Amino acid sequence: MRGGRRLFPLLLLALLLLALLPGLCHGREPAPGAVTCGSVLKLLNTRHSVRLHSHEVKYGSGSGQQSVTGVEASDDANSYWRIRGKSDNSCQRGTPVKCGQAIRLTHVNTGKNLHTHHFPSPLSNNQEVSAFGDDGEGDDLDFWIVQCSGTYWEREDAVRFKHVGTEVFLSITGEQYGHPIRGQREVHGMPAANHHNYWKAMEGVFIKPSLDPAKHDEL
Amino acid sequence: MLVKDLTSPDNTASRVPVESPVRSAEGPQSLFQHLPSAPDEPFLHSCLFQVLSDEEKRKQYDAYGEEGLKDGHQSSHGDIFSHFFGDFGFMFGGNPRQQDRNIPRGSDIIVDLEVTLEEVYSGNFVEVVRNKPVARQAPGKRKCNCRQEMRTTQLGPGRFQMTQEVVCDECPNVKLVNEERTLEVEIEPGVRDGMEYPFIGEGEPHVDGEPGDLRFRIKVLKHPVFERRGDDLYTNVTISLVEALTGFEMDISHLDGHKVHIVRDKTTKPGAKLWKKGEGLPNFDNNNIKGSLIITFDVEFPKEQLTPEQREGLKQLLKQGSVQKVYNGLQGY
Repeated sequence: MRGGRRLFPLLLLALLLLALLPGLCHGREPAPGAVTCGSVLKLLNTRHSVRLHSHEVKYGSGSGQQSVTGVEASDDANSYWRIRGKSDNSCQRGTPVKCGQAIRLTHVNTGKNLHTHHFPSPLSNNQEVSAFGDDGEGDDLDFWIVQCSGTYWEREDAVRFKHVGTEVFLSITGEQYGHPIRGQREVHGMPAANHHNYWKAMEGVFIKPSLDPAKHDEL
Repeated sequence: MLVKDLTSPDNTASRVPVESPVRSAEGPQSLFQHLPSAPDEPFLHSCLFQVLSDEEKRKQYDAYGEEGLKDGHQSSHGDIFSHFFGDFGFMFGGNPRQQDRNIPRGSDIIVDLEVTLEEVYSGNFVEVVRNKPVARQAPGKRKCNCRQEMRTTQLGPGRFQMTQEVVCDECPNVKLVNEERTLEVEIEPGVRDGMEYPFIGEGEPHVDGEPGDLRFRIKVLKHPVFERRGDDLYTNVTISLVEALTGFEMDISHLDGHKVHIVRDKTTKPGAKLWKKGEGLPNFDNNNIKGSLIITFDVEFPKEQLTPEQREGLKQLLKQGSVQKVYNGLQGY
Protein backbone atom coordinates (compact mmCIF):
# COMPACT_ATOMS: atom_id res chain seq x y z
CA MET A 1 0.00 0.00 0.00
CA ARG A 2 2.94 2.32 0.67
CA GLY A 3 4.11 1.75 -2.90
CA GLY A 4 0.60 2.58 -4.06
CA ARG A 5 0.76 6.06 -2.51
CA ARG A 6 3.91 6.87 -4.45
CA LEU A 7 2.49 5.48 -7.64
CA PHE A 8 -0.71 7.48 -7.52
CA PRO A 9 0.72 10.95 -8.35
CA LEU A 10 2.81 9.33 -11.11
CA LEU A 11 -0.33 7.73 -12.50
CA LEU A 12 -2.11 11.07 -12.36
CA LEU A 13 0.75 12.70 -14.24
CA ALA A 14 0.71 9.94 -16.87
CA LEU A 15 -3.03 10.36 -17.32
CA LEU A 16 -2.64 14.14 -17.63
CA LEU A 17 0.03 13.68 -20.27
CA LEU A 18 -2.14 11.22 -22.18
CA ALA A 19 -4.99 13.71 -22.11
CA LEU A 20 -2.73 16.46 -23.39
CA LEU A 21 -0.99 14.32 -26.00
CA PRO A 22 -3.77 14.47 -28.61
CA GLY A 23 -3.77 18.22 -28.14
CA LEU A 24 -0.03 18.31 -28.75
CA CYS A 25 -0.18 16.12 -31.85
CA HIS A 26 -3.18 17.82 -33.39
CA GLY A 27 -2.22 21.21 -32.10
CA ARG A 28 -2.56 22.63 -35.58
CA GLU A 29 -6.29 21.75 -35.80
CA PRO A 30 -8.24 24.82 -34.77
CA ALA A 31 -11.58 24.63 -32.99
CA PRO A 32 -12.37 20.89 -32.89
CA GLY A 33 -16.03 21.68 -32.21
CA ALA A 34 -16.43 24.04 -35.16
CA VAL A 35 -18.89 23.64 -37.99
CA THR A 36 -17.00 23.06 -41.22
CA CYS A 37 -17.74 23.39 -44.92
CA GLY A 38 -19.11 20.21 -46.41
CA SER A 39 -20.94 19.30 -43.20
CA VAL A 40 -24.60 18.36 -43.33
CA LEU A 41 -26.71 19.44 -40.38
CA LYS A 42 -30.08 20.36 -38.90
CA LEU A 43 -30.62 23.82 -37.43
CA LEU A 44 -32.81 24.34 -34.39
CA ASN A 45 -34.43 27.67 -33.65
CA THR A 46 -33.70 27.97 -29.95
CA ARG A 47 -36.70 30.14 -29.11
CA HIS A 48 -39.36 27.98 -30.77
CA SER A 49 -37.69 24.52 -30.71
CA VAL A 50 -38.33 23.76 -34.35
CA ARG A 51 -35.89 22.74 -37.05
CA LEU A 52 -35.24 24.54 -40.33
CA HIS A 53 -36.93 22.48 -43.02
CA SER A 54 -37.85 22.48 -46.68
CA HIS A 55 -39.81 20.20 -48.98
CA GLU A 56 -41.34 20.09 -52.43
CA VAL A 57 -44.19 22.40 -51.49
CA LYS A 58 -44.31 25.82 -53.09
CA TYR A 59 -45.59 29.03 -51.57
CA GLY A 60 -49.10 29.92 -52.72
CA SER A 61 -48.26 33.60 -52.62
CA GLY A 62 -45.21 35.84 -52.80
CA SER A 63 -42.57 34.39 -55.10
CA GLY A 64 -44.23 30.98 -55.52
CA GLN A 65 -40.85 29.35 -54.86
CA GLN A 66 -40.22 26.29 -52.70
CA SER A 67 -41.22 26.99 -49.11
CA VAL A 68 -38.99 26.87 -46.03
CA THR A 69 -40.60 26.11 -42.66
CA GLY A 70 -39.87 25.08 -39.09
CA VAL A 71 -40.82 21.55 -38.01
CA GLU A 72 -41.08 19.94 -34.60
CA ALA A 73 -39.92 16.47 -35.62
CA SER A 74 -36.28 15.62 -34.95
CA ASP A 75 -36.11 12.69 -37.35
CA ASP A 76 -37.15 14.22 -40.66
CA ALA A 77 -34.55 13.82 -43.39
CA ASN A 78 -35.92 16.94 -45.10
CA SER A 79 -34.37 19.09 -42.36
CA TYR A 80 -30.79 18.53 -43.50
CA TRP A 81 -28.80 21.47 -44.91
CA ARG A 82 -25.30 21.41 -46.33
CA ILE A 83 -22.81 24.16 -45.45
CA ARG A 84 -20.97 25.56 -48.45
CA GLY A 85 -18.80 28.56 -49.16
CA LYS A 86 -19.70 31.51 -51.36
CA SER A 87 -18.31 29.76 -54.41
CA ASP A 88 -17.19 26.24 -55.18
CA ASN A 89 -13.52 26.82 -54.37
CA SER A 90 -13.90 29.28 -51.54
CA CYS A 91 -14.41 26.86 -48.65
CA GLN A 92 -12.68 23.49 -48.84
CA ARG A 93 -14.07 20.41 -47.18
CA GLY A 94 -13.25 20.48 -43.48
CA THR A 95 -12.46 24.20 -43.26
CA PRO A 96 -14.04 25.67 -40.10
CA VAL A 97 -16.55 28.44 -40.73
CA LYS A 98 -15.44 31.76 -39.23
CA CYS A 99 -17.77 34.16 -37.48
CA GLY A 100 -18.62 36.83 -40.04
CA GLN A 101 -18.04 34.51 -42.99
CA ALA A 102 -20.63 34.33 -45.78
CA ILE A 103 -21.94 30.85 -46.55
CA ARG A 104 -24.65 29.11 -48.50
CA LEU A 105 -27.04 26.61 -46.96
CA THR A 106 -28.09 24.01 -49.51
CA HIS A 107 -31.12 21.82 -48.80
CA VAL A 108 -29.80 18.28 -49.18
CA ASN A 109 -32.90 16.55 -50.54
CA THR A 110 -33.95 19.16 -53.12
CA GLY A 111 -30.63 20.82 -53.99
CA LYS A 112 -32.02 24.34 -53.46
CA ASN A 113 -30.28 27.10 -51.48
CA LEU A 114 -31.70 29.02 -48.50
CA HIS A 115 -32.74 32.28 -50.09
CA THR A 116 -34.62 35.48 -49.31
CA HIS A 117 -35.83 38.44 -51.33
CA HIS A 118 -38.25 41.37 -51.28
CA PHE A 119 -41.47 39.39 -51.09
CA PRO A 120 -43.78 39.39 -48.07
CA SER A 121 -44.06 36.20 -46.00
CA PRO A 122 -47.56 34.66 -46.11
CA LEU A 123 -48.52 34.68 -42.41
CA SER A 124 -46.65 37.47 -40.67
CA ASN A 125 -45.91 39.85 -43.54
CA ASN A 126 -42.18 39.79 -42.79
CA GLN A 127 -39.75 38.90 -45.60
CA GLU A 128 -40.32 35.62 -47.38
CA VAL A 129 -37.57 32.99 -47.06
CA SER A 130 -37.55 30.37 -49.78
CA ALA A 131 -35.40 27.59 -51.21
CA PHE A 132 -34.07 28.55 -54.61
CA GLY A 133 -31.79 27.23 -57.31
CA ASP A 134 -30.92 24.04 -59.06
CA ASP A 135 -28.48 21.38 -57.88
CA GLY A 136 -26.90 23.82 -55.44
CA GLU A 137 -26.58 26.72 -57.85
CA GLY A 138 -28.83 29.72 -57.20
CA ASP A 139 -27.91 33.39 -57.29
CA ASP A 140 -26.41 36.22 -55.21
CA LEU A 141 -29.33 36.20 -52.80
CA ASP A 142 -28.23 32.81 -51.42
CA PHE A 143 -25.51 34.21 -49.13
CA TRP A 144 -25.85 34.42 -45.36
CA ILE A 145 -23.33 35.72 -42.84
CA VAL A 146 -22.83 33.61 -39.73
CA GLN A 147 -22.99 35.98 -36.76
CA CYS A 148 -21.40 34.65 -33.63
CA SER A 149 -19.01 35.69 -30.90
CA GLY A 150 -15.56 34.21 -31.04
CA THR A 151 -13.49 33.13 -34.01
CA TYR A 152 -15.31 30.13 -35.42
CA TRP A 153 -18.91 28.91 -35.57
CA GLU A 154 -18.96 26.41 -32.70
CA ARG A 155 -21.52 23.62 -32.76
CA GLU A 156 -22.46 24.32 -29.16
CA ASP A 157 -23.28 27.99 -29.78
CA ALA A 158 -26.47 29.61 -30.91
CA VAL A 159 -25.72 31.81 -33.92
CA ARG A 160 -27.60 34.23 -36.13
CA PHE A 161 -27.80 34.18 -39.92
CA LYS A 162 -27.81 37.61 -41.53
CA HIS A 163 -28.68 37.86 -45.20
CA VAL A 164 -26.02 39.52 -47.32
CA GLY A 165 -28.33 41.07 -49.91
CA THR A 166 -31.21 42.36 -47.77
CA GLU A 167 -29.67 42.54 -44.26
CA VAL A 168 -32.48 40.58 -42.55
CA PHE A 169 -32.03 37.86 -39.93
CA LEU A 170 -33.35 34.32 -40.42
CA SER A 171 -36.17 34.11 -37.85
CA ILE A 172 -39.28 32.38 -36.60
CA THR A 173 -41.93 34.15 -34.55
CA GLY A 174 -44.35 31.25 -34.10
CA GLU A 175 -47.04 31.63 -36.77
CA GLN A 176 -48.28 28.20 -37.88
CA TYR A 177 -49.45 26.95 -41.23
CA GLY A 178 -52.61 24.97 -41.84
CA HIS A 179 -53.24 22.26 -44.38
CA PRO A 180 -51.24 20.73 -46.12
CA ILE A 181 -48.33 21.50 -43.78
CA ARG A 182 -50.29 21.77 -40.57
CA GLY A 183 -48.29 22.73 -37.50
CA GLN A 184 -45.19 23.84 -39.37
CA ARG A 185 -43.95 27.30 -38.46
CA GLU A 186 -43.33 30.16 -40.82
CA VAL A 187 -39.65 30.98 -41.39
CA HIS A 188 -39.02 34.56 -42.49
CA GLY A 189 -36.47 37.34 -42.52
CA MET A 190 -36.76 40.20 -40.08
CA PRO A 191 -34.55 43.29 -39.73
CA ALA A 192 -34.31 43.19 -35.92
CA ALA A 193 -31.74 41.09 -34.08
CA ASN A 194 -33.55 39.44 -31.18
CA HIS A 195 -34.14 36.12 -29.46
CA HIS A 196 -36.25 34.89 -32.41
CA ASN A 197 -33.26 34.60 -34.68
CA TYR A 198 -30.94 32.29 -32.76
CA TRP A 199 -30.13 28.92 -34.34
CA LYS A 200 -28.12 25.97 -33.10
CA ALA A 201 -26.55 23.08 -35.00
CA MET A 202 -28.18 19.81 -33.94
CA GLU A 203 -28.18 16.41 -35.64
CA GLY A 204 -25.92 15.98 -38.60
CA VAL A 205 -22.75 14.67 -40.16
CA PHE A 206 -19.97 17.02 -39.15
CA ILE A 207 -16.69 16.80 -41.01
CA LYS A 208 -13.88 17.24 -38.53
CA PRO A 209 -11.90 20.44 -38.96
CA SER A 210 -8.61 20.05 -40.80
CA LEU A 211 -6.10 22.51 -42.16
CA ASP A 212 -4.52 20.17 -44.68
CA PRO A 213 -6.95 17.54 -45.92
CA ALA A 214 -4.27 15.88 -48.04
CA LYS A 215 -2.25 14.62 -45.09
CA HIS A 216 -3.11 12.00 -42.52
CA ASP A 217 -1.00 11.34 -39.46
CA GLU A 218 -0.89 7.79 -38.17
CA LEU A 219 -0.33 8.31 -34.45
CA MET B 1 -64.66 -11.53 -50.63
CA LEU B 2 -65.49 -13.38 -47.47
CA VAL B 3 -61.91 -13.96 -46.42
CA LYS B 4 -58.78 -11.88 -46.12
CA ASP B 5 -57.01 -11.66 -49.45
CA LEU B 6 -53.94 -13.85 -49.00
CA THR B 7 -52.18 -12.45 -52.04
CA SER B 8 -52.58 -8.76 -51.16
CA PRO B 9 -49.33 -6.79 -50.90
CA ASP B 10 -49.77 -5.95 -47.24
CA ASN B 11 -50.29 -9.57 -46.31
CA THR B 12 -48.19 -10.21 -43.24
CA ALA B 13 -47.37 -13.64 -44.56
CA SER B 14 -45.21 -11.99 -47.22
CA ARG B 15 -42.78 -11.07 -44.45
CA VAL B 16 -41.15 -14.38 -45.14
CA PRO B 17 -38.71 -13.92 -48.05
CA VAL B 18 -40.35 -14.88 -51.29
CA GLU B 19 -37.08 -15.35 -53.21
CA SER B 20 -35.98 -18.19 -50.91
CA PRO B 21 -35.48 -21.43 -52.88
CA VAL B 22 -36.99 -23.27 -49.96
CA ARG B 23 -40.21 -21.35 -50.16
CA SER B 24 -40.65 -21.12 -53.92
CA ALA B 25 -42.25 -24.51 -53.98
CA GLU B 26 -44.38 -23.82 -50.94
CA GLY B 27 -45.58 -20.50 -49.55
CA PRO B 28 -49.01 -19.03 -49.05
CA GLN B 29 -50.00 -19.84 -52.61
CA SER B 30 -49.66 -23.52 -51.85
CA LEU B 31 -52.79 -23.27 -49.73
CA PHE B 32 -54.71 -22.72 -52.93
CA GLN B 33 -53.25 -25.98 -54.27
CA HIS B 34 -55.39 -27.69 -51.64
CA LEU B 35 -58.47 -26.37 -53.41
CA PRO B 36 -60.15 -29.01 -55.58
CA SER B 37 -60.09 -28.35 -59.32
CA ALA B 38 -63.85 -28.89 -59.79
CA PRO B 39 -65.38 -25.46 -60.43
CA ASP B 40 -68.61 -25.97 -58.49
CA GLU B 41 -66.91 -26.64 -55.13
CA PRO B 42 -67.34 -23.83 -52.60
CA PHE B 43 -64.50 -21.28 -52.65
CA LEU B 44 -64.14 -21.35 -48.91
CA HIS B 45 -62.23 -24.60 -48.46
CA SER B 46 -62.23 -26.22 -45.07
CA CYS B 47 -58.44 -26.06 -44.73
CA LEU B 48 -58.43 -22.33 -45.40
CA PHE B 49 -61.39 -21.69 -43.11
CA GLN B 50 -59.85 -23.70 -40.30
CA VAL B 51 -56.76 -21.51 -40.27
CA LEU B 52 -58.60 -18.23 -40.49
CA SER B 53 -61.28 -18.92 -37.93
CA ASP B 54 -58.93 -20.19 -35.24
CA GLU B 55 -57.34 -17.11 -33.64
CA GLU B 56 -54.24 -18.98 -32.51
CA LYS B 57 -53.67 -20.70 -35.86
CA ARG B 58 -54.34 -17.47 -37.69
CA LYS B 59 -51.70 -15.63 -35.68
CA GLN B 60 -49.23 -18.39 -36.43
CA TYR B 61 -50.04 -18.29 -40.12
CA ASP B 62 -49.80 -14.50 -40.21
CA ALA B 63 -46.37 -14.56 -38.63
CA TYR B 64 -44.72 -17.63 -40.01
CA GLY B 65 -46.65 -18.68 -43.11
CA GLU B 66 -47.62 -22.20 -43.88
CA GLU B 67 -44.35 -23.56 -42.53
CA GLY B 68 -45.23 -22.10 -39.17
CA LEU B 69 -48.49 -24.00 -39.06
CA LYS B 70 -46.82 -27.29 -39.87
CA ASP B 71 -43.98 -27.02 -37.37
CA GLY B 72 -45.98 -25.29 -34.69
CA HIS B 73 -43.25 -22.68 -34.42
CA GLN B 74 -43.30 -20.72 -31.24
CA SER B 75 -39.95 -19.14 -31.93
CA SER B 76 -39.42 -15.41 -32.27
CA HIS B 77 -39.38 -13.41 -35.47
CA GLY B 78 -35.62 -13.32 -35.54
CA ASP B 79 -35.32 -17.10 -35.47
CA ILE B 80 -37.30 -17.51 -38.66
CA PHE B 81 -34.70 -15.43 -40.50
CA SER B 82 -31.77 -17.37 -39.07
CA HIS B 83 -33.62 -20.56 -40.06
CA PHE B 84 -33.49 -19.54 -43.70
CA PHE B 85 -30.22 -17.66 -43.79
CA GLY B 86 -28.36 -20.12 -41.59
CA ASP B 87 -29.13 -22.92 -44.03
CA PHE B 88 -27.50 -21.12 -46.89
CA GLY B 89 -24.67 -19.40 -45.12
CA PHE B 90 -25.02 -16.23 -47.13
CA MET B 91 -27.50 -13.44 -47.61
CA PHE B 92 -29.42 -13.61 -50.84
CA GLY B 93 -29.87 -10.25 -52.49
CA GLY B 94 -27.20 -8.88 -50.18
CA ASN B 95 -29.61 -7.06 -47.91
CA PRO B 96 -32.18 -9.08 -45.98
CA ARG B 97 -33.89 -5.95 -44.77
CA GLN B 98 -34.95 -5.04 -48.27
CA GLN B 99 -36.92 -8.22 -48.63
CA ASP B 100 -38.88 -7.50 -45.51
CA ARG B 101 -41.30 -4.85 -46.55
CA ASN B 102 -43.10 -4.64 -43.26
CA ILE B 103 -40.39 -3.30 -40.94
CA PRO B 104 -40.56 0.49 -41.16
CA ARG B 105 -37.26 2.11 -41.93
CA GLY B 106 -35.89 5.60 -41.39
CA SER B 107 -34.68 7.62 -44.37
CA ASP B 108 -31.22 7.32 -45.86
CA ILE B 109 -28.95 10.34 -45.71
CA ILE B 110 -26.68 10.95 -48.69
CA VAL B 111 -23.72 13.23 -48.00
CA ASP B 112 -21.63 14.43 -50.95
CA LEU B 113 -17.96 14.13 -50.09
CA GLU B 114 -15.70 16.33 -52.21
CA VAL B 115 -12.29 14.80 -52.84
CA THR B 116 -9.25 16.19 -54.60
CA LEU B 117 -7.28 14.34 -57.25
CA GLU B 118 -4.40 14.13 -54.76
CA GLU B 119 -6.67 12.14 -52.47
CA VAL B 120 -7.73 9.90 -55.34
CA TYR B 121 -4.06 9.20 -56.05
CA SER B 122 -2.82 8.57 -52.52
CA GLY B 123 -6.01 7.79 -50.64
CA ASN B 124 -7.08 9.54 -47.44
CA PHE B 125 -9.20 9.20 -44.33
CA VAL B 126 -11.96 11.65 -43.46
CA GLU B 127 -13.10 11.82 -39.87
CA VAL B 128 -16.69 12.72 -39.30
CA VAL B 129 -18.81 13.21 -36.19
CA ARG B 130 -22.30 11.77 -36.51
CA ASN B 131 -24.80 13.37 -34.15
CA LYS B 132 -28.12 11.56 -34.28
CA PRO B 133 -31.17 10.81 -32.11
CA VAL B 134 -31.05 7.36 -30.58
CA ALA B 135 -34.01 5.57 -29.00
CA ARG B 136 -33.49 5.08 -25.29
CA GLN B 137 -35.73 3.33 -22.78
CA ALA B 138 -38.27 5.51 -21.03
CA PRO B 139 -40.82 4.58 -18.38
CA GLY B 140 -44.23 3.38 -19.44
CA LYS B 141 -45.66 1.96 -22.63
CA ARG B 142 -46.57 3.37 -25.99
CA LYS B 143 -48.51 2.33 -29.06
CA CYS B 144 -46.42 1.04 -31.93
CA ASN B 145 -46.77 -0.76 -35.30
CA CYS B 146 -50.16 0.83 -35.83
CA ARG B 147 -51.84 -0.55 -38.90
CA GLN B 148 -55.20 -0.80 -40.59
CA GLU B 149 -56.70 -4.23 -40.45
CA MET B 150 -59.87 -5.76 -41.84
CA ARG B 151 -61.98 -7.38 -39.18
CA THR B 152 -64.64 -9.86 -40.08
CA THR B 153 -67.63 -9.95 -37.76
CA GLN B 154 -70.49 -12.38 -38.05
CA LEU B 155 -73.88 -10.71 -38.20
CA GLY B 156 -75.87 -13.85 -38.48
CA PRO B 157 -75.72 -17.33 -39.98
CA GLY B 158 -73.75 -17.06 -43.24
CA ARG B 159 -73.66 -13.25 -43.05
CA PHE B 160 -70.38 -11.47 -42.42
CA GLN B 161 -69.34 -7.87 -42.24
CA MET B 162 -65.85 -6.48 -42.96
CA THR B 163 -64.79 -3.37 -41.14
CA GLN B 164 -61.54 -1.44 -41.06
CA GLU B 165 -59.92 -1.01 -37.72
CA VAL B 166 -56.72 0.64 -36.49
CA VAL B 167 -54.82 -1.91 -34.50
CA CYS B 168 -51.71 -1.12 -32.48
CA ASP B 169 -49.26 -3.22 -30.54
CA GLU B 170 -47.94 -2.24 -27.16
CA CYS B 171 -44.23 -1.58 -26.92
CA PRO B 172 -41.91 -0.31 -24.23
CA ASN B 173 -41.77 3.43 -24.25
CA VAL B 174 -38.78 5.07 -25.92
CA LYS B 175 -37.50 8.60 -26.13
CA LEU B 176 -35.07 10.04 -28.65
CA VAL B 177 -31.78 11.25 -27.20
CA ASN B 178 -29.01 12.87 -29.28
CA GLU B 179 -25.77 10.91 -29.28
CA GLU B 180 -22.49 11.44 -31.05
CA ARG B 181 -19.96 9.08 -32.50
CA THR B 182 -16.95 9.47 -34.75
CA LEU B 183 -16.98 7.71 -38.10
CA GLU B 184 -14.06 7.38 -40.46
CA VAL B 185 -14.57 7.33 -44.21
CA GLU B 186 -11.70 5.92 -46.23
CA ILE B 187 -11.08 7.49 -49.61
CA GLU B 188 -9.58 4.55 -51.42
CA PRO B 189 -6.97 5.18 -54.12
CA GLY B 190 -8.55 5.17 -57.57
CA VAL B 191 -12.06 5.90 -56.29
CA ARG B 192 -14.41 7.13 -59.00
CA ASP B 193 -16.97 9.92 -59.05
CA GLY B 194 -20.33 8.76 -57.74
CA MET B 195 -19.04 5.80 -55.74
CA GLU B 196 -20.67 5.49 -52.33
CA TYR B 197 -19.42 4.47 -48.91
CA PRO B 198 -22.40 3.34 -46.82
CA PHE B 199 -22.64 3.25 -43.05
CA ILE B 200 -25.49 0.92 -42.22
CA GLY B 201 -27.88 2.20 -39.59
CA GLU B 202 -26.36 5.67 -39.31
CA GLY B 203 -29.16 7.39 -41.19
CA GLU B 204 -32.44 8.75 -39.80
CA PRO B 205 -33.85 6.72 -36.92
CA HIS B 206 -37.38 5.33 -36.91
CA VAL B 207 -39.14 4.87 -33.54
CA ASP B 208 -41.07 1.82 -34.71
CA GLY B 209 -38.42 0.23 -36.85
CA GLU B 210 -34.90 0.39 -38.08
CA PRO B 211 -32.72 3.39 -38.85
CA GLY B 212 -31.86 4.22 -42.45
CA ASP B 213 -28.31 4.30 -43.76
CA LEU B 214 -25.77 7.08 -44.10
CA ARG B 215 -24.10 7.10 -47.50
CA PHE B 216 -21.11 9.20 -48.50
CA ARG B 217 -21.09 9.89 -52.22
CA ILE B 218 -17.71 10.74 -53.72
CA LYS B 219 -17.49 13.91 -55.82
CA VAL B 220 -14.09 14.26 -57.47
CA LEU B 221 -13.10 17.94 -57.84
CA LYS B 222 -11.49 19.40 -60.96
CA HIS B 223 -7.73 19.86 -60.74
CA PRO B 224 -5.80 22.88 -62.09
CA VAL B 225 -3.04 20.74 -63.64
CA PHE B 226 -4.37 17.27 -64.32
CA GLU B 227 -7.50 16.02 -66.06
CA ARG B 228 -8.75 12.55 -65.24
CA ARG B 229 -10.08 10.14 -67.82
CA GLY B 230 -10.60 6.75 -66.26
CA ASP B 231 -7.23 5.80 -64.83
CA ASP B 232 -5.30 8.10 -67.18
CA LEU B 233 -4.23 11.64 -66.45
CA TYR B 234 -3.91 14.38 -69.07
CA THR B 235 -1.84 17.53 -68.78
CA ASN B 236 -0.48 20.28 -71.03
CA VAL B 237 2.93 21.90 -71.17
CA THR B 238 3.83 25.07 -73.03
CA ILE B 239 7.45 25.25 -74.27
CA SER B 240 9.29 28.00 -76.06
CA LEU B 241 10.02 27.87 -79.79
CA VAL B 242 13.73 27.45 -79.00
CA GLU B 243 12.98 24.51 -76.72
CA ALA B 244 10.71 23.01 -79.35
CA LEU B 245 13.47 23.22 -81.96
CA THR B 246 16.52 22.43 -79.88
CA GLY B 247 15.26 20.14 -77.16
CA PHE B 248 14.79 20.57 -73.41
CA GLU B 249 14.68 18.85 -70.02
CA MET B 250 12.05 19.39 -67.32
CA ASP B 251 10.21 17.93 -64.31
CA ILE B 252 6.49 17.71 -63.72
CA SER B 253 5.34 17.55 -60.09
CA HIS B 254 2.90 14.69 -59.68
CA LEU B 255 -0.10 14.49 -57.30
CA ASP B 256 1.93 13.07 -54.45
CA GLY B 257 4.88 15.37 -55.07
CA HIS B 258 7.15 12.95 -56.91
CA LYS B 259 8.77 14.29 -60.11
CA VAL B 260 8.12 13.00 -63.59
CA HIS B 261 11.26 13.63 -65.61
CA ILE B 262 11.03 14.61 -69.28
CA VAL B 263 14.00 14.80 -71.62
CA ARG B 264 13.66 15.78 -75.30
CA ASP B 265 16.64 16.09 -77.61
CA LYS B 266 14.69 16.01 -80.84
CA THR B 267 12.30 18.64 -82.17
CA THR B 268 8.95 18.81 -80.43
CA LYS B 269 6.06 19.74 -82.67
CA PRO B 270 3.06 21.70 -81.34
CA GLY B 271 0.38 19.18 -80.35
CA ALA B 272 2.93 16.44 -79.82
CA LYS B 273 1.95 13.91 -77.16
CA LEU B 274 4.23 12.16 -74.74
CA TRP B 275 2.94 8.96 -73.17
CA LYS B 276 4.28 8.16 -69.68
CA LYS B 277 3.14 4.69 -68.66
CA GLY B 278 2.50 4.03 -64.98
CA GLU B 279 2.21 7.74 -64.18
CA GLY B 280 -1.59 7.86 -64.16
CA LEU B 281 -3.99 7.03 -61.35
CA PRO B 282 -4.07 3.69 -59.53
CA ASN B 283 -6.85 1.38 -60.63
CA PHE B 284 -9.58 1.11 -57.99
CA ASP B 285 -9.79 -2.67 -58.17
CA ASN B 286 -6.04 -3.26 -58.28
CA ASN B 287 -3.93 -0.43 -56.92
CA ASN B 288 -0.77 -1.93 -58.42
CA ILE B 289 -2.00 -1.15 -61.91
CA LYS B 290 -1.66 2.49 -62.81
CA GLY B 291 -2.90 4.35 -65.84
CA SER B 292 -0.75 6.61 -68.00
CA LEU B 293 0.10 10.29 -67.96
CA ILE B 294 -0.39 11.87 -71.39
CA ILE B 295 1.41 15.19 -71.86
CA THR B 296 0.46 17.41 -74.79
CA PHE B 297 2.93 20.12 -75.81
CA ASP B 298 2.16 23.48 -77.29
CA VAL B 299 4.71 26.02 -78.46
CA GLU B 300 4.96 29.66 -77.51
CA PHE B 301 6.42 31.81 -80.26
CA PRO B 302 8.73 34.76 -79.43
CA LYS B 303 6.70 37.89 -78.78
CA GLU B 304 9.04 40.32 -80.46
CA GLN B 305 8.94 40.77 -84.22
CA LEU B 306 12.14 39.85 -86.07
CA THR B 307 14.42 42.33 -87.79
CA PRO B 308 15.21 41.83 -91.51
CA GLU B 309 18.69 40.58 -90.58
CA GLN B 310 17.25 38.02 -88.17
CA ARG B 311 14.80 36.89 -90.80
CA GLU B 312 17.57 36.41 -93.36
CA GLY B 313 19.67 34.61 -90.77
CA LEU B 314 16.84 32.24 -89.93
CA LYS B 315 16.20 31.45 -93.59
CA GLN B 316 19.86 30.46 -93.92
CA LEU B 317 19.87 28.46 -90.70
CA LEU B 318 16.71 26.47 -91.13
CA LYS B 319 17.10 25.75 -94.83
CA GLN B 320 13.35 25.04 -95.12
CA GLY B 321 11.77 25.92 -98.45
CA SER B 322 8.48 27.69 -98.74
CA VAL B 323 5.47 25.46 -98.06
CA GLN B 324 2.13 27.01 -98.89
CA LYS B 325 -0.26 24.08 -98.89
CA VAL B 326 -3.95 24.98 -98.93
CA TYR B 327 -6.29 22.28 -97.68
CA ASN B 328 -9.45 21.61 -95.72
CA GLY B 329 -8.20 21.22 -92.15
CA LEU B 330 -11.62 20.58 -90.65
CA GLN B 331 -12.30 17.44 -92.61
CA GLY B 332 -8.98 15.71 -91.96
CA TYR B 333 -7.54 15.99 -95.44
